[in-house]
Amino acid sequence: MRLKIKLMIASFKMFIRQREAIIWTILLPLFMVFLFSFVKFGGIGSVSVGIVNHSADSTLINMLKPIQALKISTGREDEELARLKKGERAMVLVIPASFQPIGQDSLTLYLNAEKPQETQAGKLILQCALDELVFQQNHLPRHTLRTELVNSRNLSYIDFLLPGILAMSIMQGGIFGVAFGFVILKKRGILRRLLVTPMRTNDFILAQVATRLLVLLLQILVMIGAGVWFFNLHFIGSIFNMIIVGLLGGVVFLSIGFALSGISKSEDQVAPLANLITLPMMMLSGVFFSRTNLPGFAHVVTDFFPLTYLADGLRSIAIEGATLADVFPQLLGLAVWAVITLFIAIKAFRWE
Amino acid sequence: MNHVLGVSNLKKRYGDLVAVDGVSFNVTRGEVFGILGPNGAGKTTTLEMIETLRPMDSGQVLLDGIDVQREPQKVKQRIGVQLQASSFFDKLSLTELLLLFGEMYGRQVNALALLDEVELRDKAKSYVVQLSGGQKQRFSIAAALVNDPVILFLDEPTTGLDPQARRHLWGVIKRIRSEGKTIVITTHYMEEAEELCDRVAIMDSGKIVANAPPQELIRQLLAKGFKKERVERLANLEDVFLNLTGHSLRED
Repeated sequence: MRLKIKLMIASFKMFIRQREAIIWTILLPLFMVFLFSFVKFGGIGSVSVGIVNHSADSTLINMLKPIQALKISTGREDEELARLKKGERAMVLVIPASFQPIGQDSLTLYLNAEKPQETQAGKLILQCALDELVFQQNHLPRHTLRTELVNSRNLSYIDFLLPGILAMSIMQGGIFGVAFGFVILKKRGILRRLLVTPMRTNDFILAQVATRLLVLLLQILVMIGAGVWFFNLHFIGSIFNMIIVGLLGGVVFLSIGFALSGISKSEDQVAPLANLITLPMMMLSGVFFSRTNLPGFAHVVTDFFPLTYLADGLRSIAIEGATLADVFPQLLGLAVWAVITLFIAIKAFRWE
Repeated sequence: MNHVLGVSNLKKRYGDLVAVDGVSFNVTRGEVFGILGPNGAGKTTTLEMIETLRPMDSGQVLLDGIDVQREPQKVKQRIGVQLQASSFFDKLSLTELLLLFGEMYGRQVNALALLDEVELRDKAKSYVVQLSGGQKQRFSIAAALVNDPVILFLDEPTTGLDPQARRHLWGVIKRIRSEGKTIVITTHYMEEAEELCDRVAIMDSGKIVANAPPQELIRQLLAKGFKKERVERLANLEDVFLNLTGHSLRED
């Protein structure tokens, strides 16, 4: 027991004295969140409308300009149509020379066939504005809308991103940290030197795992803390639940790290393998972007990625306040992965 | 029982290559026993089988009366090993490393005393990467002494060192010998064997071809009527080198 504790202390000391390790596992993820905090993804955005006015009247244009959902620009017909073709406009409205505020003129609206959502919304707004012109003249009875402002808990992109980056850094820490760490120990003969001592090899592995899990704990606390204090993270979950899900994910990725270090002889062999495993997950597990836009097949496959379970689990807890029962599917997914990867790790891991 | 180590008919082959081919020898308590031979003679493989690092194909090794094959854990408790290319953890100081290695044997060691033994006290707080080649080897010996072993194995401890550092390491090894420790050392430097060893075994292609004290082997050769083609001068180039550059170490 005494040796186990001494080994853990030594291995933790080694970790915190390694500047690169701190940078990779803690500072880099925070820096990524910092960078992305400048990115604004403001809902559907505005519909870009080009208007070609052949008439002398500008009532309609003046009425449309204050509408925030539209981005109005005016120009000559051939220019605007060219821009529509290039995709710079969602729609182009052509006002005929005969146009008057009151009347039954026919206005032409060219729509960008590739942007059905924007053109639909834009078309409704334009039709509404034309109707309004008629209404202002003859005041027919109509339905009214009474509006009221409500303060809502608007989740920002950071709320989506930060738990995802946390999951990603847990994955990177586990896979790269262990795989590289052990391959270096192996290659430089350090493991061999340990083998001539009576120390049980499992004690050493245990110390390494304990250190990694402690670092993982640190990652969760630092990321959530920094998120709440600096990035306006709407954290309403339980840190304890985050830790439970995080640790389970940690076991999966540590096991992958051990397995990789078992089948590789040098750093050069580890790097491509580790990237092969982590890159697809980084891109497709919903770390940076929601998986809702993935095509059906990819959606089904990525459903089963361990990083998907970890990121979804951490995210639900952090911003929806999910309980452990709520994230049971994710816990189950991670547990199954933990069993599979642990089995592979035990089979593949070699001391020499 | 005067033999600390008894090796009998030890064999190891890798595919078609017979690395160790029936090696037998005994090491007496308190002596420095050298295993000499060209690269690839099987010295390191022999040592690694004795040290429990490599399974033997056949033969028997008794260390302090304990069968290495049957009770490797007990053997590990009793031996101190300096491996040919062993390195240590990066971010622990020499003191921390010695304390940790001591714990692996269930001992709380006096790290500074061990560092004194190999003249590294002033480096107590350094990391291994900050040491010179000779200092690294000396530290490696200190780490092999943490369990106060009955026998110390040194595998080519001076390979790659400059003449000054080599002589300094010889001094350290002689002092350890004077404290009564049994030492088994491999080398391919003959002057080193002559300087340090009470007895040497010469290995070639996996076999021991001679086993006697160095002076005895020289006498036997001369008795056969051997004459050097060029008569030995009273000094050689190494003497010139040391005379010009001094005996003091250049490592700081």
